[in-house]
Formats: sequence, structure tokens, C-alpha cells
Amino acid sequence: MRDRNIFLIVLAFVVIGPFVQPKVIITEMLIFGIVAVANNIMIGYTGMLSFGQAMFFGIGAYVAGLLLKAGMPLIVALPVGTLFVLVLSIAVGYFCVQRTGLYFICITFAFNQMFYFIAYSWTGLTGGEDGLPGIPRPSLLLDPVAFYVFVAVVFLACLVAMKRIVDSPLGLICQTIRENPSRAAAVGYNVKLYKLTAFTIASTFTGLAGTVYAMLYGIVPIDQIHWLKSGDFIFMTLLGGTGNFFGPIMGAVGYIWMSETFSLYWARWPLIMGIVFVVVVLYLRGGIVELIGKVYGSIQRAREAP
Amino acid sequence: MAGLLECHALSKNFDAVAAVVDVNLEVTEGSVHSIIGPNGAGKTTFFNLISGEVPPTAGRVYFKGRDITGLPSHQIPHVGIARCFQRTNIFPKLTVFENVWVAMFSRSNSGALDFIKRVSDFGEIGDKTREIISELGLEEKLTERAETLSHGQQRALEVAIALAGAPTLILLDEPTQGLAPEATQQMTQLIQRLAGRYTILLIEHKMHVVMAISHWISVMHFGQIIAEGGPDEIRQNEAVQKAYLGGRR
Amino acid sequence: MSFLILSQILNGFATGMLYALVGVGLTLVLGVLNLPNFAHGTLFAFGAYFTYTVANLTDSFYLGVLIGPLLVVLIGFVIESQGVRRLYAAHHDYQLLFLFAIALILQETVILIWGPVGFSLLPPKFLAGAVDLGFTVYPKYRLALILFTATIVVALYLMLTRTNVGAILRAGIENREMVKVLGININKVFLFTFGLGAYLAGLAGGLATPIWGLTPTMGFDILPISFVIVVVAGLGSILGAIAAGILIGLAQSLTTIWWPEAANVVIYLIMGLTIILRPQGLFGSR
Ligand SMILES: Nc1ncnc2c1ncn2[C@@H]1O[C@H](COP(=O)(O)OP(=O)(O)OP(=O)(O)O)[C@@H](O)[C@H]1O
Ligand SMILES: [Mg+2]
Repeated sequence: MRDRNIFLIVLAFVVIGPFVQPKVIITEMLIFGIVAVANNIMIGYTGMLSFGQAMFFGIGAYVAGLLLKAGMPLIVALPVGTLFVLVLSIAVGYFCVQRTGLYFICITFAFNQMFYFIAYSWTGLTGGEDGLPGIPRPSLLLDPVAFYVFVAVVFLACLVAMKRIVDSPLGLICQTIRENPSRAAAVGYNVKLYKLTAFTIASTFTGLAGTVYAMLYGIVPIDQIHWLKSGDFIFMTLLGGTGNFFGPIMGAVGYIWMSETFSLYWARWPLIMGIVFVVVVLYLRGGIVELIGKVYGSIQRAREAP
Repeated sequence: MAGLLECHALSKNFDAVAAVVDVNLEVTEGSVHSIIGPNGAGKTTFFNLISGEVPPTAGRVYFKGRDITGLPSHQIPHVGIARCFQRTNIFPKLTVFENVWVAMFSRSNSGALDFIKRVSDFGEIGDKTREIISELGLEEKLTERAETLSHGQQRALEVAIALAGAPTLILLDEPTQGLAPEATQQMTQLIQRLAGRYTILLIEHKMHVVMAISHWISVMHFGQIIAEGGPDEIRQNEAVQKAYLGGRR
Repeated sequence: MSFLILSQILNGFATGMLYALVGVGLTLVLGVLNLPNFAHGTLFAFGAYFTYTVANLTDSFYLGVLIGPLLVVLIGFVIESQGVRRLYAAHHDYQLLFLFAIALILQETVILIWGPVGFSLLPPKFLAGAVDLGFTVYPKYRLALILFTATIVVALYLMLTRTNVGAILRAGIENREMVKVLGININKVFLFTFGLGAYLAGLAGGLATPIWGLTPTMGFDILPISFVIVVVAGLGSILGAIAAGILIGLAQSLTTIWWPEAANVVIYLIMGLTIILRPQGLFGSR
């Protein structure tokens, strides 16, 4: 399928979604859709697996939430929150990209937990365990429809921006690093620098999503910066499929839908999620994208063979 | 006259193994300079020292009079040295076009603004990329993934990636390895064609290829250069024959 | 004040030895199997809960600590042979997601079986109470714990450095291909390693119960600490994991004296300093 067609499908989802499902759920899907697509810039394009993206999501949410609480307008709070994450992700990323493979995973994970504990211990600022409550929405966005439109616009803008990035030379360079890092260096690319760039881009979009999330329920629960969330982000990305730019959106949608559904019926719903994860790993590598591809392919073949 | 590339007392030890021992070597601009020697002689390691893949234990490397010893490998293409690897070293899941394009883009004077353009917006780089791919006879494979190419085509792609870096000096590590006689012939002709335009440092096992195209030959054995000279001198050199007949590890 | 410091140092050793056990277990799995084992923490939790249950059923703490961790090994064997084994050739992302899923499943299983409320387990009578060490009165169990875990750690270290099995495992960390070439059944090595890792996590969990009690989240709490230990140690270094475990235990205990809120953050401070000053880890070679 052509990118333009997929984009139209995504657009249709954004427009029709809120008529079919509660707006907050679709809103969550869009916010985490940004995160999952951003995560795929690392996993799918660059071949880096960070187990710490929740730290950027959470910090974006905290900073924006605090600024909004302090009475700052939206156009200050969101950009400053995002910028904060950008700078922080350069600093954190600098140390992480010195390492590859398992070590990279370990370090991102440990950094995630470090920021979790800072948020947990610094109760005066973050509310600690109870989360950061009472975040106001600007009066323009108090109306649920207006807020949905706002999130939808942010989502589509992020999507276009990230698509642009992966279609640029940078996107191709990232792929050479995924394919063969030493060869990428041998044709003249500073591999660590480009990895840091990919890390920063992915983390910044994740942070931006976090700033929007802060306004959704008016609270930043501490779970949003816990490493479990980082695991969920990876799941969303893999569930959708890393082989396609748009795939992870489906992963985010699927994840939110499942967690909303299961949590209604059983307090121990993470257990079911765990089982779903296992099924995906063992039987559905390549994610929903590949599944659709296979189904599509077999329909095609069934048609051809009369 | 000073050489384009000069190595002074270059050595590399891996723990107990002395892979390259006190090598002095000078590559004249515009020449085809071959390095021959038995398996495990240290030829590839010698290339790795020049291209920054591994840092030397001792010694220095000068290129165009500039000390490039220990430069990280990603800076080497930018001084004008490109490299082909002995073990095919490409980007398997990218297309042939993309494989060559990234190497070309790396050497273009890209400003930060280039990163908000699409790959397809770089008309000139795209054209030059197609040119090089055609020169290597891969034009029909332009949009195929590199992993789907035959071994011979992958060797050609390897050379295309090197040429895309607009180098002065090309390091070729056994470009004909594993090729059928006919493909070897083609590769030999290609190198001869390139010889006018680039300085070539070549590692090669096939003697007829070496003798046909080299201006100068250095013979490596147990990490040392044991003989140097034109093709005829080398053919007659006793030490060389000994190394080849009795010297395999 | 200095009494307090001395007894906190002892506490630090007790904690640190437990960390060392967990850390060595994780190091083995990470190093030999090249696997991001995010289920390691929940294996620790299962060790504690199994120990608790067996101790209650048999009325013997010793039997609990003996049998509990062995039951964890069984879980480890199931995870390795039914799941992880199919993933060695896969990318880290799928391995990670699988083990993350196992962690979630085990975590929820703990709550399903034992409920969301924590428990405490008393040390055996012989080790209950405290002894007067001259400078401080110190709980007997903790002293015994330090001595016992120290013995285990030394035995483990000797096993890994002096025996054939240990030689194979270390070779596995340095060069997996070599182990295959040597004609050793790699599946058995991997199963054994995963089992040993699970055992060490489970044993630490069981031994920790009289000090830390049991809470359903204990597995998730220890997991990041065990990864920090590996980063500080240097990936794959067994001696490093022991040293880093003790170091972190000590640092945590000592921080508690002056700034209790920072006790958890100080772990990461040590990690940060290590990454800046010695990126390859304290005992890492590269
Ligand atoms: N990274 C390394 N670590 C340890 N030893 C190495 C390394 N690279 C090369 N060696 C050793 O250095 C010696 C020279 O190897 P090298 O690959 O340079 O030989 P070569 O001349 O290219 O051989 P061939 O003709 O087979 O390609 C060999 O003994 C090899 O085992
Ligand atoms: Mg070689």
C-alpha cells in the first residue's frame, strides 16, 4: 500500500474514532500512537532498543504539568516541556550510545529507574507516589471536543514530521546503522552521533506526547515514568510491526483497546496482557502489519486461483 | 617524490600474535599497488590499520602528507580513502540504489538543511549514484535489495560503494574472491579502467590478475614486507617463492 | 554516631551479599545466554514466597530456604525450555518482550496465589534475637546471613573459576562459538545457566524474607537494582557483580543514616559515576 493511502486510513480513524468509542480512549490511542511511532525510529529504523522511554514520557508530562499548574499558557508549557526532554535526552543518550546491544538496554533501563526514583522521592515537586494532580487545561481546551481536536492535530503534525524525518537522508543513514554499523562508519558516518540523533528525536517526540498526556486527565500518575511503561511502549511498537512506519500506530491502538477492555473485567488483567505478549513473540513476529500482509496475500492468491 | 600514502614502521599485535610487523610502505599516486602473501600474512590487518578499523600498536600512517594514524574509521572516507572489504560488507536490506546513495551522500557537502529534504529531492546525487551503478553493471538491480544479489554482484556493489565516496585512494581487499573465471576477468578489466582515475592499493591472491594489472607489488609474509618490486622482479624473487611454497602456516 | 555507622556497615554487607547473589545470577544469564532477563526480579520474589510457604508447611525455615529456591529452578527450567530457547536466534527486542511478559505473568501470579497483602517471616529460633558485638547489639540472623551468603558466594566463585562447568560457562561468556565448537551440548549449558541464575535469585529471595518481609512488588523492586549491579560491574564479570553488589548495599545503608530519601537514588548515582569514569564497568574489559 502506498504511504498516502495509509495516511488517509489513519486520518479516517482520527475523524471517525470518537464517534465509535469514548473520546478519552481515542485520545489515549493517539498520544501513545506518537510514542510508538517515535519508538520505532529507534527500534525499526536504527536497530536500537531502549528500555527507558517512559522516563522521557513521564518527564515531559511532569514538566508541562508543573508549568500549567504554575499558570503558564499552553504555548509555553508544551514547548518548554518538550525542549526540556530534548536537552535531557541528549545528555542521557550520550552515555547510552557509547554501548550497544544488551549493555544499551541495561543502561537505558537503569536511567529510567533513576528518574523514577527522583520523581518518587521528590514529593514536594512531583507528588511522589500519589502523582501530580490538579493540572489545569487552558480554557479553550476545556470542552472535550476541542481537546480532542487539539490532540488530533498534534498527533497528525507529529506523524507528518516523523515521516519526513525517516524519508530524509537521516532516515536512510539510520537504516544503514541498523543493517551494518561498521560499514556505515566505513562510508563516513559517525555512528554514535547518528545513534544519538535517533535517540534524541525519538525521545523528544515521546516527551511531547507526555506533555499532552498531562492535560488529558489533569494528573500525572507516577506509573507513567515507571519502567513497566517502557515495556508497554516496546510492546506497542512490536505489536504494530517495526517493518512499517505506520505499523506502531496499530500497536498503540491495540494495546489501549486491550488494556481498557481487560481491566474492566479483571483486576489481574496485566496477566492477560503478559499472555498476549507471549503469543505475539512466539507467533506474531512482524506484528499486525505482517498479519495484514499475510491475510491480504492469501486473499489475493485465493482470487487468482479460481 | 613523496608517496600518496606512506606507512612508517607500522605494527599491530593481537595479544601474542604479531599480525603486522614494522611495515614501511609507500604508494605512488596514480599507481596500482598490489599486496600479496599467503593466508594469514596480515594483509587485511594492514588495511584495517590504514582505514582506522583497528588502531596500530606502533608506527604512523601519512596520507597526502597528513598524519592520519588512529583516525576513527568514519573520518577516513573524508580524507579521500575508500575501502572494499574481503568479506562482503554491504547493507543487506537496503536497495542497491540506497547502498550506493548513502556512500555518496556521506561525501557531499551536506548542510543541516539537507536533513529536512527527502532522499528523492537530491537530483544530482541520485544521478551520480545511478551512473556508478551502471558503470558496475548493476543498473537492472537498482531497486532490488542488496541481499538478493548474487555473490559476484555483491562484490561489484562493494566496489560501487567505494567509488561513491569519491576517493583518491581505493583499498581493494581481494575483490575477485569467490568469483568465477569470467567474473574475475570482468573485475580485472574494471580495476584496469579505474586505474587511470584512482590510486589503487590491492590485496589479491590470483597471481595472473596481480601480474596483469600491478605497477608495483609488495609481498607480505608473517606480517613483514619481504620483497618489493615490479611484476617481473617479484616473479623471479627467491624469497617470494619460498614464502609461497613452504611458508603457509 | 560511630556505632550507628558500624551497624549500618554490617547492614550494608547483609544487603550487599544478597545483591551479590542476585547480581551474579543475572550476570550469568546476561553473559552466557546473551539475554536481557527481565524476569529475574520475579524469580527473586518467587524464591521468597516459596520459602515462606515451605517454611510454614514444614515449620522449618531451613527447609524453606533449602526447597524454596529449588522450586524456582523448576520455573526457570520451564521458562528456558518452553520459551527462551526458541528465541536465541531472535533479536533482543523479542527476547526482551518475552521476558517482560513472563515478569508480568509471574508478578500477577504471585498476587493470585498469595494475595496483594505482604507477609513477614520470622527467622528460625536459633537465629532469633541479637548478639552483643561490643560496639553494638546486632540481630543474629543478619550476622548468620552475612556469613552464609559469603560462603555461598565464595563457593560459587570457586565453582566458576576452578571447575569444568565453570570453565564452560566462562568460555560461554567470552566466546560462545568456541563452546559450540568444543562439541558441548549448548542446550544443556543454557538450561543449566538459566537454572543457576534462577536458583541464585530464588535463594536471595528466600534468605531476604526475615529482613525485608514479603511484598508482591518485591520482584519489581529488586530488578532495576540487579541491572545496575551488572552495569557497574561490567557486563559478564562475575567478580565485578559480587563487588558491585556489596558496594551498592553499603552505599545504600550508609546513605540511610544521613539522607534516607536518597537511599534509592544513590544507587543510580554510583551507576552514573561508573558510566562517566569507567564506562566499561569496574571489572569490565571492554
Ligand atoms: N581482530 C583480531 N584479533 C586477533 N587476531 C587477529 C585479528 N585480526 C586478525 N588476526 C590475526 O592476524 C593474522 C593476520 O590476519 P589477516 O586477516 O590480516 O591475514 P590476511 O593476510 O588478510 O589473510 P587472508 O589472505 O586469509 O585474508 C592472523 O593470524 C589472524 O588470526
Ligand atoms: Mg585478508
